[in-house]
Amino acid sequence: MTLKPHSDHIYIEALLTNNSRVLSKIYELFTPKIISYIKKNSGSADDAQDIIQETLVTIYHQAKEKNLVLTCPFDAYFFLLCKRKWLNELKKRGVNRVTILEDETSISDIEEQQVEETEIFEEQQQLFDTMFKKLGEKCQELLKTTFKIKSMEKVAELLGVTYGYARKKKSQCMGQLTKLVKNAKAFHQLKKY
Amino acid sequence: MNDSNYIEFENYISNELSSEEKKHFEEKLNTNANLKEEFEIYKALNTSLSSKFSNEGEEQNLRKTLTKLGNKHITKKGKVIELKTYKNLMIAASIAIIVGLFVFNNNTPSYNDYANHNALELVVRGENNEAFSRAEEAFNSKNYEEALKELTFLSNIYLTDTEIQLYKGICLLELGNYYEAEAIFDKISTGTSSLSSTAVWYKALSLLKQKKYIACKQLLKIIPQSAPEYNKAQDLLDKL
Repeated sequence: MTLKPHSDHIYIEALLTNNSRVLSKIYELFTPKIISYIKKNSGSADDAQDIIQETLVTIYHQAKEKNLVLTCPFDAYFFLLCKRKWLNELKKRGVNRVTILEDETSISDIEEQQVEETEIFEEQQQLFDTMFKKLGEKCQELLKTTFKIKSMEKVAELLGVTYGYARKKKSQCMGQLTKLVKNAKAFHQLKKY
Repeated sequence: MNDSNYIEFENYISNELSSEEKKHFEEKLNTNANLKEEFEIYKALNTSLSSKFSNEGEEQNLRKTLTKLGNKHITKKGKVIELKTYKNLMIAASIAIIVGLFVFNNNTPSYNDYANHNALELVVRGENNEAFSRAEEAFNSKNYEEALKELTFLSNIYLTDTEIQLYKGICLLELGNYYEAEAIFDKISTGTSSLSSTAVWYKALSLLKQKKYIACKQLLKIIPQSAPEYNKAQDLLDKL
């Protein structure tokens, strides 16, 4: 199904093209609300800057990997993502029951859904990342090289092995990683995306 | 699951199976739930890692841009005027307006010496492109009445866009609607937008145009050194 992008999709494109002129609009128009929310809830301006940046990088990755099409206004989508990320961060820091000031933004189903997709994407990314680091050093290196270089022939040449051996090694390492992910507790909580 | 399964996954994904082998593999997937689950994970990992590692450099560049913007807009170092200071100064300025009425001034700089507006260049938003270019064309050719019409239309769509607001204010100022113009400048300058010092500058110009020199001076003094309008403001201050 092809979705009709919202006119705010320009912000997604700006992330993909690193267009600082349009990106500065994001900071100008949408971040003041987020900053004030975080500051009201035990955070600092630096916290806000981090949360905002990490959220934007996640959206960038989702756009790059999953061709994210924004079908709702960016404002509400972005605010909700940052807000929930901040609440998670507070939980991680073990901040004792701070009064969470609820904001009064109402959100539509379509926004809720878009937010959820991004969150699931991020959880999956984090899970894959954690599991990747559990692989042996050799596997990590081999996989990094194959994904960066893309051509298996070149990888084989670089590593001084045959093409068939390189492929076999790659699939073995990927197999190990598959098993790690499959057995991770978090994987079962993660809905399929 | 053993190594040969994973080699088969790899061959399937990289399209190295014959059509016969492919069909056979797909049948296995449909009948073996465990195999299917692992294959789905394998495939998702392949896409995810491939995207992650091949875009590492691009991600770093994006992070650089975002850090710069964040430093400028969020952890700003005294760039934007504090709301409270601004309000106090506004009170001082309005007292000065009353006083200013009785002050006789000659040989003073005029509004036209300073009214060199930056060309309007709005970011294209994908929609309403024609309205954007009509607004730009009208404004840049000093047809402020027409520009005001287009900008008013656009400001009703992009409610939070400060740049559109600011230029709407400039059109109103040019057309002599000081009251409405200043209301817009006030709103922008008390907000957190990076255009807030520009809005203060324009409010000062509006006062200059109405020959409210003392109030104008008060406002010029609060434009911070880091603002792009600082030099112009100092220059005007010297002459007043």
